[in-house]
Amino acid sequence: MDLDFSEEQQMIVDMTRGMLEEHSTVEVVREMEDDPKGYPDGLWKQMSELGLNGLLIPEALGGGGQTLLEAALVYEELGRAMAPVPHFVSCVMSAGLLMEAGSEAQQEEWLPQIANGDAILTPAWLEPHRSFGEAGIALDAKPDGDDYVLSGVKRSVAYASSASRLIVLARSAEGVELLLVDPNADGVKLSFYMSQGREPHYRIEFKGVRVPASDRIGAAGSGWKTFDKVMHDGIVLLAAQATGGAERCLAETVEYANERVQFDKPLGAFQSLAHYMADASTRIDGGRVLVHEAAWNRAAGRSISRFAPMAKLFCCETYRETTRVCAQIWGGVAFTIEYDQQMFFRRAKHLQLSWWDTPYLEELVAADVLDS
Amino acid sequence: MNFDFSPEEQKFADEVEQWLVENHDPEVMDHHRENFSQLADTPERRAFMKKLAAQNWLGMSWPKEYGGQAIEGVYEFILNEALSKHAAPQIGKGVGIIGKTLIRHGSEKLKQEFLPKILNADVEFAVGYSEPEAGSDAANMQLKAEKVEGGYKLNGQKMWTTSAHFADWYWVGARTDPDKPKHDGLSLFLIPMDHPGLEVQSLPTIGKDTTNQVFFNDVFVPDDYLVGKRGRGFHMISEALDLERFTMFTLSPIADRTRVLVDWVKDAKRDDAPLKDDPNVRRTIAQIVTDTAVAKGLSTRFVCAAMAAGGKPPTIQSSQYKLFTTTLSQRVCKDALDISGHEGTIMEGQDEAPLRGRFEGAYRATMNETVGGGSSEIQKNIIARRHLGLPKNF
Repeated sequence: MDLDFSEEQQMIVDMTRGMLEEHSTVEVVREMEDDPKGYPDGLWKQMSELGLNGLLIPEALGGGGQTLLEAALVYEELGRAMAPVPHFVSCVMSAGLLMEAGSEAQQEEWLPQIANGDAILTPAWLEPHRSFGEAGIALDAKPDGDDYVLSGVKRSVAYASSASRLIVLARSAEGVELLLVDPNADGVKLSFYMSQGREPHYRIEFKGVRVPASDRIGAAGSGWKTFDKVMHDGIVLLAAQATGGAERCLAETVEYANERVQFDKPLGAFQSLAHYMADASTRIDGGRVLVHEAAWNRAAGRSISRFAPMAKLFCCETYRETTRVCAQIWGGVAFTIEYDQQMFFRRAKHLQLSWWDTPYLEELVAADVLDS
Repeated sequence: MNFDFSPEEQKFADEVEQWLVENHDPEVMDHHRENFSQLADTPERRAFMKKLAAQNWLGMSWPKEYGGQAIEGVYEFILNEALSKHAAPQIGKGVGIIGKTLIRHGSEKLKQEFLPKILNADVEFAVGYSEPEAGSDAANMQLKAEKVEGGYKLNGQKMWTTSAHFADWYWVGARTDPDKPKHDGLSLFLIPMDHPGLEVQSLPTIGKDTTNQVFFNDVFVPDDYLVGKRGRGFHMISEALDLERFTMFTLSPIADRTRVLVDWVKDAKRDDAPLKDDPNVRRTIAQIVTDTAVAKGLSTRFVCAAMAAGGKPPTIQSSQYKLFTTTLSQRVCKDALDISGHEGTIMEGQDEAPLRGRFEGAYRATMNETVGGGSSEIQKNIIARRHLGLPKNF
C-alpha cells in the first residue's frame, strides 16, 4: 500500500496549482460570478496549453491519455481554486460520452477540439420538475425519416451559450438517446439564469428541432447506459473537487482562527471551535483517500459502481458541512459578500445538489450493497 | 499510489486467513465478546496464543537479536486485523508496548526474563496507567512509589486495568519523584500480579466483561524491576504508544459489524415485506457502508504513514483514524438497533432477538470506544494542534 503520488503526478499537481494561483484568483472568480459566459478566455487557454483540457482524451486524438487518478488530482486543484471553467461539462462529461460510445467520425471531429479548447460541448440533461434518473428524461425525440425531431425543455445546462454542441438526452421509442445538437439550430432557444454556485446555467427550449440520426452517440436506445457509466467517472472527479474546496475553506479558516482574538485568546484556542476544525480535517483527509481509492480502482480497470457514489456522497457532504462550521468560526463576516467564505458556502451546496444528489447517490450505494 | 498489499504481504494475509479458518474454535473466537475478544483470558485462549507463537507470529517486527524477524510492522497490522476479524485474541501488550519498551530501555536482566516468555506466549500482562485522578490527564498519576532499601514501596490505586484478573505481570506507572514536574516524576515497574499487597477488585461494566480497579498496600518492588531510568516513565509510555502504531485498534471488528448488519438486512422481513425495500433502511445502510469505506481509507492512511515515516510516528493519522472509526463504530450499533425496531430491545443471547442480540450487546460494548485509549476530545486536541497548527486550548 502506498498513497504517494508518482513524480509525474506530483508534477501535474504542482503545475495545475501554480497556474490556477495565477489565473483563477479570487478576483477572477468573483468577476465571473455574474457573467453569462462564465469563464475567462485567459484561464481556459492556459488550461488547454497545459494539456488539462485533453487530460482524459487519448493521445492519438490530441489528448494526454491520463487516467481518472491524474484527473482526480487536477480536480482537487480546480476545487481549491473554485476555477470558473466549463471543464467538467466539456472535457469530462461530453468527451467521456464521445469516448465511450461515439463513432470514429464523431470522436475525430470533436475530441481534438475539446482537447485544445476550441470547442466546448455540454450535456443537456435535466428537465423541469423531473428527477436525476433515467425516468427524468422526457424530452421527445420523434423519428422522422433520417432525422429525430426534438420537442421539450431542458434546464440547468451549464455554459450552453458557449457550446459548439449540446449533447441532448432525449427519449425515443427505443429509450434514451444522446444527440449532438447545434445550439444555434432552428427551434433552439436559450435563456440564462443564475445558480447558487454562480455557474452560468441555461434553460433551453426545443421546438421541432431536427437532428440527423447520424448525430446520435451510440446505438439507438443505449443513451442512458452510456451516460450512467460516464457519470460514475465524473462524480469521482466532483468528489475530488469538493475535497479541494473544503480543504482551502478550512485552511483559510484556520489562519483566521489563529489571528482573530476574542476574550484575549485566538479563536483557535477555544476547544469548541478547534474541535469543529479537527472534525472537518478528519473528514476531508478521509474523503480524499476514498476519492483516490475510487480513481485508482478505475485506473486499474476495476468496477467503481460502489466507490464512485460513495466518494461523491461523502465528499460533498464534507464540503457542505465544512463550509457551515467555518462560517460559524468566522462569525458575522462570513455572511457578507465582501468576505470569501460565502463563495465556498454557496458552491458546496450547489455541488452537493448537482450531478446526482444525496438521495440518488445513497440509492446507488444501497442498490449495489443490498440488491446484488 | 497503490491500494493493494504487495504480493508478499498478500501472501501472508492469505496464509493467516487460511490458518484461522483451519484453526477455528468457538471457545476461542467469539464475536459476541466484541472488544474483549482480543484478550487471552482463558486457558483455551492462552493455548491459542501458544499456537500463534509456534507459527512464529509473535514479535515479527522485533530485532533479530531478541528473537524477532525484523520485518515491517505492516505484517503485524495484517495479522491483528485478521485475528480481530475472527474475534480471536490479538497480539497485544506483551509483543507491543512491553516488549518494545524493554528492548529499547530495559536492563539485560529484564530482557532475558521477559522477552523469551513474550515470544513463547508464556506471559500475559496487565497495564496500569489510569487512576481516579489520571484519566485523560494521563500524566497526573498519583500512585506513590517511595524509595526504600533495595527497591520501592508502592501505595495507591489504579483504575480500568482490564486484564488484572487473569494477567501474570503488572506493568505499572507510579510517581517516584513528586517534587519534579508532573511528566518527569513518573517511573515504570513490573510487578507479579499475585504480589502480596495487590488487591484486584472487579468493576462490572455494561459491556459483557469486567474491568478492574487495583489497590496497592505497601507493595514492595525490588530495584531490578524498575524499567529503564527512574523519572522517564511518562516518556517511555508515550514512546510505546508511538511504537505500537500498527496494532493499536483494529478496523476489522467494525467492518465486520457493518457486513453482519448488511447480510441481515438483505434477508430480514417486516410485515412480510423485505426490510431492504424500506427507503429509510436503504439510506442508513448506504451511509454506514460509505463511512466504513472512509474508515478503511483512514486506516490505510495511517498504515502508509507509519511505513513511510522512517521512525516518525504518524500521530495525526492515528488520531484521525481513532476519532472517526470509534464514532462510526457506535453509530453502526445505534443504526442497527434503529433498523431492528422494538425487537432491538431484546437482550443479547436470546433467539427472539435479531442476530441473537449481536447489536444489543455491541451497542453497550462499544460505548467506551470513544473514551478508552484517548477520548475523542483528546484526539481532536491532537489534530487541532499538531495537524492544523492551532494554539494550545487547555
